Amino acid sequence: MTMSFSDGVINLSGKCGIDEAEALVSYLSSHPETVVDVAAATEIHTALWQALMMFRPTVSGSPISNSAAADLLPCLLDFLKQRSKATATNLRS
Amino acid sequence: MDELIVQFAIEARELVQQASEDLLSLEANPRQRDSLESAFRAIHTLKGSVGLFDFGPMLGILHQAEDLLSQARAGKIVVDATLIDPLLAVIEWVDSSIEGISQTGRLSEAQEKQAPRLQRLVSGQMTERDAGETAPAPEAIPDWALSLQQRVPATDAAGNLIAIRYEPHPECFFNGDDPLATISHLSDLRHLALSLREPLPAPQDYDPFRCNLLIEAVSGGSLAEAEGVFRLIPDQVKLFTLAGALGEQAAAQPEVSADRSTDRQSTTMRIDSARIDKLVEIAGELITAKNGLVPLADEARSHGNGQLARRILAKHHEIERLIASLYSAVTQARMIPLEHTFRRFPRLVRETSARLGKVLDLIIEGESVEADREIVENLFEPLLHLIRNGLDHGIEPEADRLQQSKPARGCLLLRARQRGDQIEIEVADNGRGMDPQRVRAAAIDRGLVSEDQASALSDRDILQFVFASGFSTASSVSDLSGRGVGLDAVQSSVRRLGGTLQLQSTVGTGTSFTLQLPISFSMTQLMVVQVGDERYGIPISDVIETHKLPASAVQSIRAGKAFVLRNRTIPLLHLGELLQSQLPSAHSNDLKVLIVQAGEDQIGVAVDAIAERAETLTRPLAGLLQGLPGIAGTTLLGDGKVLLVLNMEELVK
Repeated sequence: MTMSFSDGVINLSGKCGIDEAEALVSYLSSHPETVVDVAAATEIHTALWQALMMFRPTVSGSPISNSAAADLLPCLLDFLKQRSKATATNLRS
Repeated sequence: MDELIVQFAIEARELVQQASEDLLSLEANPRQRDSLESAFRAIHTLKGSVGLFDFGPMLGILHQAEDLLSQARAGKIVVDATLIDPLLAVIEWVDSSIEGISQTGRLSEAQEKQAPRLQRLVSGQMTERDAGETAPAPEAIPDWALSLQQRVPATDAAGNLIAIRYEPHPECFFNGDDPLATISHLSDLRHLALSLREPLPAPQDYDPFRCNLLIEAVSGGSLAEAEGVFRLIPDQVKLFTLAGALGEQAAAQPEVSADRSTDRQSTTMRIDSARIDKLVEIAGELITAKNGLVPLADEARSHGNGQLARRILAKHHEIERLIASLYSAVTQARMIPLEHTFRRFPRLVRETSARLGKVLDLIIEGESVEADREIVENLFEPLLHLIRNGLDHGIEPEADRLQQSKPARGCLLLRARQRGDQIEIEVADNGRGMDPQRVRAAAIDRGLVSEDQASALSDRDILQFVFASGFSTASSVSDLSGRGVGLDAVQSSVRRLGGTLQLQSTVGTGTSFTLQLPISFSMTQLMVVQVGDERYGIPISDVIETHKLPASAVQSIRAGKAFVLRNRTIPLLHLGELLQSQLPSAHSNDLKVLIVQAGEDQIGVAVDAIAERAETLTRPLAGLLQGLPGIAGTTLLGDGKVLLVLNMEELVK
């Protein structure tokens, strides 16, 4: 099991493949306030990263260093930061 | 950023533009004398501006270019391609240097490297073609690669870098592709950014198996490695080698911020102020037009269509909000820093103090505070008056100062500060100050106040008489000031701009004038009142409260009338009488009274009716009406009628 839900938190662990994408998306779309914890993940498929970019949940935890997931996490956080800034600007104008 | 550099960049771009236009027209028609003259002037002025800074070889090159043009003017050399080509090359070089200069304040190394080539060109040692061969034009860098390059920290820029733009095919997941895993195989990934190719779809429409990513990266590895990683999907990837030399260029401009786009468009542009004024005017008229919606809603309601009325009002609010933001945006465009006025003073003060034989320092602070252009420009006269006043009457001659154990050099302070939506400008000197006794004597002398009254007034109040028309305590009339046309003129021009002027002075320590001014001519809320058949506007800010008063509550006190409000006796005036338009009608029924502040006191002003509120842009009176007491300006109502806006404080005086 690489993805588990508990108490409004999604835990990604180990190698998370594309087969998890549908479950992740359906959970995120029905629970917008979800926190996604990636601390235990080592590899996360592009489709899952894209889902996180799309639904923008709060992402917590830092994966073990030297894992592929750890290398990609900063890019996601950068993207989420920029998005929220852009959205704030849109709302203001 | 240095203000001088900013100015230089603006001016240099214009001059470059001018020079290249002239040179091109000269190329088309070598006999075009005025193009030659104009090109010479542009390059000459450009050289002058460059001379203010240290931009390495640029000054010398421009000097030679100017020389060439000057020889052409004298007819010593012919105007042909061998003259124009090198000149255009110089102009192009200057043009491409401006961006770097405005970023860093100096000539970038990459630009400086080209200088010898240009020097040889303008000194006629080679033609542009030879020069082109010695400095091969770098291969054009695609925009995306350039912006990626700027995202890589300058320290990383040594050696070759590979810029990567990877747009995975939307269906790539079905091929078993994992684009992010693929790109993580690169050995030396310096930068990686993710973005979505298409805007976010609605959550319910999201297809988790469709790839919508754009991946941009910079790798420090070799091109071969990158090609290897992407060998199966070459159609989805663009690779570009960023040469080391370009890395240097990036290093020379470390201030380029990451999110800055690479186009060289400047962020400022000069616009004829009349165009901005036109926009402000249109925005003002929009406000008026918008006000017309309220009567429309009333009309709809009176026809029994309450729903339509509500909808009109809802639209009214929406339009109101939009107009307010439009208005604030255009007024923002009219804002200029006070520096435009302030920077004229140092030279004036230097000249004047030399003539008066006084030594003093002028300290200017807050020149970057911004206000509406009209306010900034109209401040020059009043400020000049106050500064001259300080110079002439305030600051003592050096000998007197030393005798009073003051520093020999006098000091004039000109300081601007922003306070909310107002600016506060202080003009202070550390001179002899104003003597209340002399002001008192002069005021009695001129019959402005009786001796009894004068002795009852505090020193601070007495000093206010210096603002009376024609008032002067100076025993001698100098050619600078002291002819009695000073402070009252200053006060009235400050008032015209919607501001106030205050004075503080201590004998022996100095005098300080404080001007409070609005930052811009903003929209004002007006209360529309009716007297007889006439309607007038009163700024709501002037009205403390409105009151309904039974006629029986009005008491006659000698010639006047008054009433009691919350245990205070408040004098009652009739607006009709104040405006000398009509006598008050017989007050059988209740009076409608506005309580307004006049100086320290509250005064009740009776009107026949209080109509609607209106938000308008009040224009100062112009022409013959200018200076009419009690009238602040005019404005247009929603129905197109002109409304006079009253200045209550002036009116009840």
